[in-house]
This record gives sequence, C-alpha cells and structure tokens, in this order.
Amino acid sequence: MEPIITIRNLSKSYGEKVALNNISLDVYPGQIIGYIGPNGAGKSTTVKILAGIIQDYSGDVHVAGINLAENVLEVKKKIGYIPELPEMYDLLTPREYLTFIGKLFHLSDDVIESRTVRMLDSFGLKDNLDQRMDSFSKGMRQKVLIVSGLLHNPQIVILDEPLSGLDANAVIMVKELLQVLKAEGRTIFYCSHMMDVVERVSDRIVLIDKGVIVADGTIEELRKDSSDSLEKIFAKLTSSDDTVQRAGSFASAFTDHMEKPTADE
Amino acid sequence: MNKFLLFLLMIPSALWKRLGADVEQLRAILHVKLMMDNRKPLSFGNNRGVEHKKKKDRKYTTWLTMLFSFFMGFVYVFPIIITEFDPVIGLAFFYTMFIFIFTFTLITDFANVLIDTKDKFVLFSRPVSDRTIMLSRLLYIMIYLLRLVIPMSLPAWIVFGIIKGWKGALFFPFPLVLLVFVVLFLVSALYLLMLRLASPGRFKDVLNYFQIGFSIVFFAVWMISSRMINPEGFKELRVEAYDGVKYFPSYWIAVCWTWVEGAAKVLPGTRWMSILAILFPIASLWATVKFLAPHFIRGLVASDNDNAPAVPVAKSSGKKSKKQFYTWANLFNKSDAAKAGFVLTWLQTSRSRTFKMRVYPSFAYVPVYFFFILMQGGRSFTDVWDNLSEGQGYIGLLYLTTFVIMQAINYITMSEQYKAAWVYYATPVDKPGDVIAGAYRAMWVKYFMPFMAAISVFVLFIWGGSVLFDIILATVNITLFSVVIMRMSNRALPFSRKEQMKDSGFRTMVRVLGTMLLMGALWITHYGISNLFYLDKVVNNTFLSAFISTTWLTVLSLVLKLVFLVLSSVFLWLVFDSLRNTDWKSLQKSEQYL
Repeated sequence: MEPIITIRNLSKSYGEKVALNNISLDVYPGQIIGYIGPNGAGKSTTVKILAGIIQDYSGDVHVAGINLAENVLEVKKKIGYIPELPEMYDLLTPREYLTFIGKLFHLSDDVIESRTVRMLDSFGLKDNLDQRMDSFSKGMRQKVLIVSGLLHNPQIVILDEPLSGLDANAVIMVKELLQVLKAEGRTIFYCSHMMDVVERVSDRIVLIDKGVIVADGTIEELRKDSSDSLEKIFAKLTSSDDTVQRAGSFASAFTDHMEKPTADE
Repeated sequence: MNKFLLFLLMIPSALWKRLGADVEQLRAILHVKLMMDNRKPLSFGNNRGVEHKKKKDRKYTTWLTMLFSFFMGFVYVFPIIITEFDPVIGLAFFYTMFIFIFTFTLITDFANVLIDTKDKFVLFSRPVSDRTIMLSRLLYIMIYLLRLVIPMSLPAWIVFGIIKGWKGALFFPFPLVLLVFVVLFLVSALYLLMLRLASPGRFKDVLNYFQIGFSIVFFAVWMISSRMINPEGFKELRVEAYDGVKYFPSYWIAVCWTWVEGAAKVLPGTRWMSILAILFPIASLWATVKFLAPHFIRGLVASDNDNAPAVPVAKSSGKKSKKQFYTWANLFNKSDAAKAGFVLTWLQTSRSRTFKMRVYPSFAYVPVYFFFILMQGGRSFTDVWDNLSEGQGYIGLLYLTTFVIMQAINYITMSEQYKAAWVYYATPVDKPGDVIAGAYRAMWVKYFMPFMAAISVFVLFIWGGSVLFDIILATVNITLFSVVIMRMSNRALPFSRKEQMKDSGFRTMVRVLGTMLLMGALWITHYGISNLFYLDKVVNNTFLSAFISTTWLTVLSLVLKLVFLVLSSVFLWLVFDSLRNTDWKSLQKSEQYL
C-alpha cells in the first residue's frame, strides 16, 4: 500500500532552537496515528507543517503523492486541521463562521448550509446556530472548531488535543467519530497528552521527544512483552522516570518555612 | 520613568490604606502592569509587521510617547501668554483646555482599562479586595495621565515661569495634579455609576454608544469653539467678563494662584474657592472608592460576555435567512475568497465595539468639519447656510467623506482576536489579496457608498443637477485615494493584527491630519479645474481676453474634468489590481497566530 503521508528528513528551527530534527515517517491510509510527546517536543510544529501553515522547513513532505512545498493549496484541500486552541472570530455565529470557512474551501452555499446544520446538530448545538460564539463555553467552541475542520470532507484529519474542554458525552462522540472516519478510509493524525485515550484509539503510536522520533509502532510493539501502560512507556522513553521523586521535591518546597496547610482560611 | 511615577504614587500609601486597599498588593499589581506595557511594541508610527526588532526599541516607547506629547503641548501655551494681563482667567482657560482634552482621552481610551476583565483569572481568583483592584486601575490610569500631563504642560510651564518668575514656576505643577484627580475621578465615577445602573448584559453596549456620542460632541465643541474665539478678544480677556466660570472646577483650581500672588484679580467673593479645588478631588476620590468600588468586580464579571446569557443574532428558523450582505457579497465579488473576506468584514464591523467606537464618530466629523471650514472668519451659521448654494463648498464636502472610508479601512486589519487569522493559513487560499480586496469592498459598500449617497442627495438638492459630474469624479478620486492607502500602509488580512490600544486617540488625530493633507491635493486639483472662470476675470482686461471666452473656459473645464476622471479611473484599476494580487510572501508569517 502507498503511504498517504511521506515525511523525509524533516527539520525546522526557530532561530537557535531546533524544533524538529531530521524526522522521517510514513503514514498509511485509514490509520489513526497517535502522535505523542512531552511539551515542546515538536508535535505541534509537525502538524502545522502538514497543515501547510508553516512553510519554511527543510526536508521532503508528500501528502497523497503531492509535494507539499510545490503545491501547498492542493494539500490544504485534503487536510482538515483542528488546532489546540479554539481561536475563532467569536463575534460571529457558528453558521456565519462556518459559511466563512466553507467559502475559503470553495464549497457551495447549499453544501455549507446542509453540512453545518447536520454536523452541529449531532453535537447538540442546533439551537445555538444563530448565537454569537462570544457567549459560548470552551466545549461549545471546541465543537464548532471540530466542525470547521471537517466541513470540507478532508481525506486526512489532524487533531491537536481535540478533547480539551469537551464534556463526557462529547468525548464519547468524538471517539466514535474517529472510528467512523477511519472506517471511511480517512487518515487521522491525533496529537494528545491523554495517554489512555491515545492508547485506546490509535492503530499506531509515534512518540517524539526533543524533535526526534524515539518510538514508533503499535501499543503491543511498544510494550515489548512488558505490561506497562503507555503512560509508563512514555515516562521511560522521555527520560522522566523520576517523576515520583520530582513530585516529592516539589511538595517539599513548602517545608522550608515550616508552613502547614491551614483548614480554617 | 515608570519607577519614578510608581514611587510618587505610592507616597500617599497611608491614604490608600485608609481607603481600604492592600498597599503591598497594590504595588505588585502596578509594577507588573507597567512592566508589561514597556514590553509592548511601540503604539504609533511603527511597522507592526516587524515585531521582533531590537528589544531596546521597546524601552523607548514611554519616552517617544512623551516627546510627542511635548510637541502637542505647544498648543496650550497660548492661554498662558495672556496670563500676563489676568493670570486667574488665563489659568482657568488653560485648565479648561486640559480638562477637556484629558476627559476625551480618558473616556475614549483609558476608561477601557478601568472596566477590563482580561485579568479576571489572574486577579479575581486571588484574595485581592475590590477596592485594591479598583484603586490599582485608577492609579494605573493616573500614571498614564501623568505621562501625558508632564510633557504636555512643559512648554506652558516654561512660559509661565518666564512671565511670573520662580514662584510661578514652583507653583505650576501643583494644580495640575489636582486637575488630574478631578478628571480621573469624575470619569471613573461616571463609569462606575453606569456599571451599577445599566443591566450587566447591556453595560458594554451602553458604554460603547456613550463613548461614540461623547467623541462626536467633543469634536464638534472643540472645532466650533476654536473657530468662534476671536484671537483679538484675548487681549480684552478679563475675569469680570466671565461670571459663569466660577461654577467650574478649572476656575477653582485657577484661584489657587492667589496664594502666590495675593493681588491677582478674581471674581468678587470667590477667593475661598481655592479650598474647593483641594476638597473636590479628595471628596470625589473618597466617594468613588467608598461607595462605588464594593460592587465593582461583581458588576464587571456580570457584564462580561462569558457570563451573559447567549444573545441570538437572528431568529433561528432552521433555514438560512438570506441576508442583504450575502447578496452584496455575491454582487461585488467574483472569487470565493473575496466573498468570504467581504462577509467576515461586514459582520465583524457590525459587532466589534472597538471598531464602532473608532469609526462611527468619523461620520459625524464630516458635517462638523464642513461647517467649521465655512464658518472661518467668524461667519455665523445662518449666514453660511443662506449663502451655501453660491459658493463651491460642495467639492469640499464631497471630499470630506474620505474620513469615513479611511477610518473604516484603518481598523479592519485589527482585532482583539487576531489569532483567529490562522484559518487563512490552513485553508486553500491562493491569493490572500482576494480576501483583502473583499474586505475593502465590504467597507466601501457598507460605509462609503451609503454615506456618499446621502451627501450627494444633499449636494444635488442645494446646488442642482449640474454638479453630478463632480460627484462622480469625487467618488472615483476618494476610492483611488483609499485604495492607495490600503495598498501602501494597510496591506494585511482582515482582523489579523493585534489591537494597539495605547494612545489611540492621539494616533487618530495625527492620521486625520495626514489624511487631510493628501486628500487636500486631490480636492484642490478638482477645485481648481472647476474654477477656471476666475481665469476669465484675470485676463479680462488684457490682450488675452480676445482668445479666452466664458464658453471656451466652460468647455475646457469639462474636458479637463473628463481627463482627470479617466486618469483617476485608470490608476484606480491599476492599484486595486495590485492589491488584489497580494501574495503570501508580502504578508506576515503564520507563526504568530498559533
């Protein structure tokens, strides 16, 4: 099978700081890739390059056979990017915002209208279609953001911490949605810190640390016959297995001045 | 500078404590706020695209603002010069000007600091009392005011010192501090009162329209009063001639001069009013903090949108209600990206309070400016009105509409939510110029077109149908001018730049002046062509009169106008095409958005 995403020797620096250091990766259609790593490891940089937002990188990236550097617009049409923070023009209503996004993807008015209504309805936001988003909760914004990333029916979906702020029902729905999208043959790039979710939904896990891929495989392959959870594996591979000790030293910072937590305050 | 001001403000910390504030917290909050300000990029005259210039530059922000204020200060020297004759009335006049300008600055710019809810998670969740938070904001605004007051009053201070000697020089700064207190506490009391009275959900809207209304009134009063005052009359300025002045705080403050110069002339029986000058600020400070502060945060949080009930924009009918602007969008734009830019800009400008605050007053500036210019030379309003149709004032009036489109396009690139601009980078937008062109067209259709139409109806009504061609020529010229400005200095995606709150009142004034100069060139050319008849008078008695007849000049004038129109149209087409073809390379990088 031909990989849908091919990354070769991808590097990116911000001034002195190296964000990605010679990454190579193949992703196959219909896979859910769990892309994990500590803060500042380079996860967001990778997905922003894939989404065509960052364009000054070195290395080769091909998406569905298209060279990203040569034809970024075609790649953008195939990708649905859902960023971590729901930064939107929230003076608009979801209907207006999604119409705006749909136009940027050259969708027709009818398609935008029917998809907007149906998608928001399944998130339980039908009654909020014509309300300004500045009064929305974080979870409601997140839902609109997810819809805005899927509106143009993308082949590849990139989700950066998609569950943050969602209520329990919405979390279940998003997880179900991932499976439906996968069954339709779409590829999903899933960045998260929530190890238990990553462990459950991903077909393959890629662990990145300090701009380098340190592990790549199914959860079983990563375990290597041990019964460790993904959380433990993560801690081992990103050299932070002394977390217990660190937590202890954190708490001991209070003892310098012998203050006890007071209950009566 | 900030450290020094902070030190000054913390001197009366015993007073702050008595008012119920926690002095240590107060100092910490102010320190952080000032530190953050100095790290913000320069607010005016900078290229916002290049934000990562040398860090050093930012340190000079404060100093540059102050230098600018210093030059502004020369405007206020005038009333001080007349103090030679009658110091109290001169000072009263000077203080009135200051109160006026600072009230304006406060209401339009800094008052937003007072009711800001951005730091609610940082401060409101900590054990900091309402009074401390409110006082910290008042003092913060005060630091800003002082930074304006000190350099702005410097020229007047020097002049006053020269006229009145060292006593005068020593005396001068003291009343200014009182004045700052008066302005600050009056304005904040007004705001807090509004916060108490208006329903929380509506507060920010009420405030917004109040600010817009106030700016218009301020502008009208400022322009018209400066026109009506006859410079010759200043020599005759005597305190006896202005009995009503004793009811105003600026007069009370001016009476303080009698402490230095006992013989100074005041209105009979008003010498005691210098006590009011001291009591009034203290009383207003006390009343503000004591009575209005306790419900301050509760009111603020309630007025915050996050907690307000969701407001439906339109009745949810399940079906898409075809709105007018979608029709306009399809009519004026070919590409999808342009349509998207058009609709986004249309909707954002209808709902953003900051945008409305900055742009809507300029609609009223047009008629005010028009009569201001006509009333030059002390003509009365009725005199101007009766003779309106005889002159060629319509050309000026038509060109004044430039204000409307200029203000609008100046602010469409800015937004509090500039980070939402990441979507342009993540969607297949081929040429960002399309989106920008759509945004420009939205402003043209939404603000300029109806405004120009209304002005045209007025012009046609007064001057008759013969000026129709001038209306068309002016429309093209103004459009050309605004597109040039958009292309040269404002080429950015709509709502993709950070707001620069600081000193925006000043920036507006500077820009208004610059715009007037550039626009003046087009207007004068147009006016010149329309006034070829004067040539006739000039050459009437010379040998040239044999060659030049009135008919000939009329034809020449028409031909020249036609040539002008064709040239302007061609330029308009060229410049707009260049704007529409803006590519990604000429815009900011995407990194700042995510």
